[in-house]
Amino acid sequence: MQALLQVILAGLVTGSLYGLLALGITLVYRTTGVLNFAYGAIGAVCACFMYILLSQARLNFWLALLITLLCAPLLGVVLERGFARPVLNAPIFTKAIATLALALVLQALAQQLWPQLNSALHFPTPFEGHAARVGGVYISLVDVIILVITLLIMVGLNLFLTRSRLGIAMRATADGLSAARMVGIPVGLIFLFVWALSAFIAALAGILLASLQSLIDIQFMDSILLFAFVGAVLGGLDSLPGALIGGILIGFIDNLLAFLLANHALGTLNIGDPGIREALIFSGFVLILFLRPQGLFGKTLARRV
Amino acid sequence: MTTRKAGEPPAAKASPSAAATPVASGRLRGQLASVQGRRLRNGLLALCALLVLALLPTIYDQIFGFSADFELHRVTFIGILIIAALAQNILTGYAAQPSLGNAAFFGVSAYILAWLNTDLNQPYWLGILVAMLVSALLGFVVGAPALRLSGVYLAIVTLGLVLVAGALLNVWDTAAGRQSYELNNLPVALTDDHVLYFMVFAIVVVIIFLSYHLLRSRVGRAWVAIRDNEVAAEAFGVPVARYKLLAFVVSATLTGLAGALYATWATTASSSMSSADQTIAFLAMIVVGGLGSISGSVLGAIFVGLLPLLLGQLPDPFSIGPFQLQISSLITLIYGLLLLLALIFFPTGLRSLGDYAKTAVQSLAQRGDKR
Repeated sequence: MQALLQVILAGLVTGSLYGLLALGITLVYRTTGVLNFAYGAIGAVCACFMYILLSQARLNFWLALLITLLCAPLLGVVLERGFARPVLNAPIFTKAIATLALALVLQALAQQLWPQLNSALHFPTPFEGHAARVGGVYISLVDVIILVITLLIMVGLNLFLTRSRLGIAMRATADGLSAARMVGIPVGLIFLFVWALSAFIAALAGILLASLQSLIDIQFMDSILLFAFVGAVLGGLDSLPGALIGGILIGFIDNLLAFLLANHALGTLNIGDPGIREALIFSGFVLILFLRPQGLFGKTLARRV
Repeated sequence: MTTRKAGEPPAAKASPSAAATPVASGRLRGQLASVQGRRLRNGLLALCALLVLALLPTIYDQIFGFSADFELHRVTFIGILIIAALAQNILTGYAAQPSLGNAAFFGVSAYILAWLNTDLNQPYWLGILVAMLVSALLGFVVGAPALRLSGVYLAIVTLGLVLVAGALLNVWDTAAGRQSYELNNLPVALTDDHVLYFMVFAIVVVIIFLSYHLLRSRVGRAWVAIRDNEVAAEAFGVPVARYKLLAFVVSATLTGLAGALYATWATTASSSMSSADQTIAFLAMIVVGGLGSISGSVLGAIFVGLLPLLLGQLPDPFSIGPFQLQISSLITLIYGLLLLLALIFFPTGLRSLGDYAKTAVQSLAQRGDKR
């Protein structure tokens, strides 16, 4: 029972990270129509940047965090202007390929800039080693921070999107680009803002993941990006709470499978291997998509053919 | 045809075929002539290409001497890329299926060949055939749900397929206790670089010939109709679902062939053959070369294949100022940048460079006339 509770807690924590990424993916897709395969790379580059600030510039953790979280929206703005805007009117698939290329370019650039991050390094945080025991379940400080930040982001985003003028303008842009233009919403600025916001969330997720694993390298977000996408699609790619719930669901299943499959083997085949888990979750996902092409929480859209 | 002006001389002294259709004007005949001219030009180009391919080993022997075999081996790689590029172009450029999944077939078929040939001691040709068959089957399995999914979802599912296939191949490697799958039971003849070169390029020529005719047949026209307007194609009685599925199967089979040949060429199969990097390489070929065109696929493959060949001449790691550049990640960087630039500035690809030049020259000439 306690083991199960521990698994549920771990699922909630990793699921929140998937959910955060899914949130950013959905935000950009809904508003600008770009399916951002570079999302993991953006988060990873930001987290690597923070690691460099910590290790080479020897900055205080909080100062480095502040600088990174200020630079992340800038990266988002640069990417929007330099990359997303020129392909704005291209077909969705072209944009998806372009983001995949962008991911490789970002990673290769980071590899050239910071070659030491090609191998996994220790990511130092002040939260390390703090844990409490609540009713037989170990809960670390990083776990609590991840849960709290995810909650804050979700509530903040929701309030922002429903209460503020900018948020309402964002939703209007997502619902109809030309209509939004017609009522005088500065659509270009909105796109810029959405990319900045999503880069901020990516950086946050990257730093949280690095703190959770206390390890970092350039490709460390690649392994969780697929699950973030699965979460976003399960949420229907159009609702933010849906994306978060989808992400948390995947986190639960991931940890539950890891718990059930651990230490089992078929001959020399180790069933607890993450690769097998990934394949199982992915086939389940494809099956769900086959039965409900609009995702678990998405609305059914009429198709033309 | 009937827009001929009154002042224009009538299309008199027409050839027998034009006489049978009296409305045929000079313009139509001009078009006919240009089509024939293009065919002639294409035929000549193909002949030249064949000649170059046949003579290349001899030329290489003259130029490179002792290292000729090594250089020829690297050229063979381009042939394998051409097959993969054609496969991706048939699926994406012709049938307009936004699939990122071809790298999965590439990796899986390489492993199937390695398994059959090395571990089960089956003949090489059987291995290649089974690898292609398995790829075709996988293409069918992937294509079936693809019919229900629209663009974005298909892109996510197919990219996921590549990553998952790569992870599973890696699990297999770990379970068997190896880093990558070595093919050390290949036919002795294929270890000769000349034989491998001729085999690969013979296959390439056959496949280009076959796809040229496939794409101009009922099947190819149906794919183009689906690409240009799915609703209209359906309304005209094209069985859309069946043709989409067929595109997946054909593309997967060809990619499987390319994967098996790659494993033969490299004498090793690794799980990185099914990765996002590989997907990008495939897409870069067809986007840089030109979507929906056979010559575009060939040009793109040559371009993408030549890049590591040329950069391989540089010292590794290559240093510019304070930066130490690793060639392998430099290549990835250049592929990605090229793909981005091509998508943003040059969406029709290398193939249409000639057309661009022609338009530019014409507009210059017109400007000169006005003066």
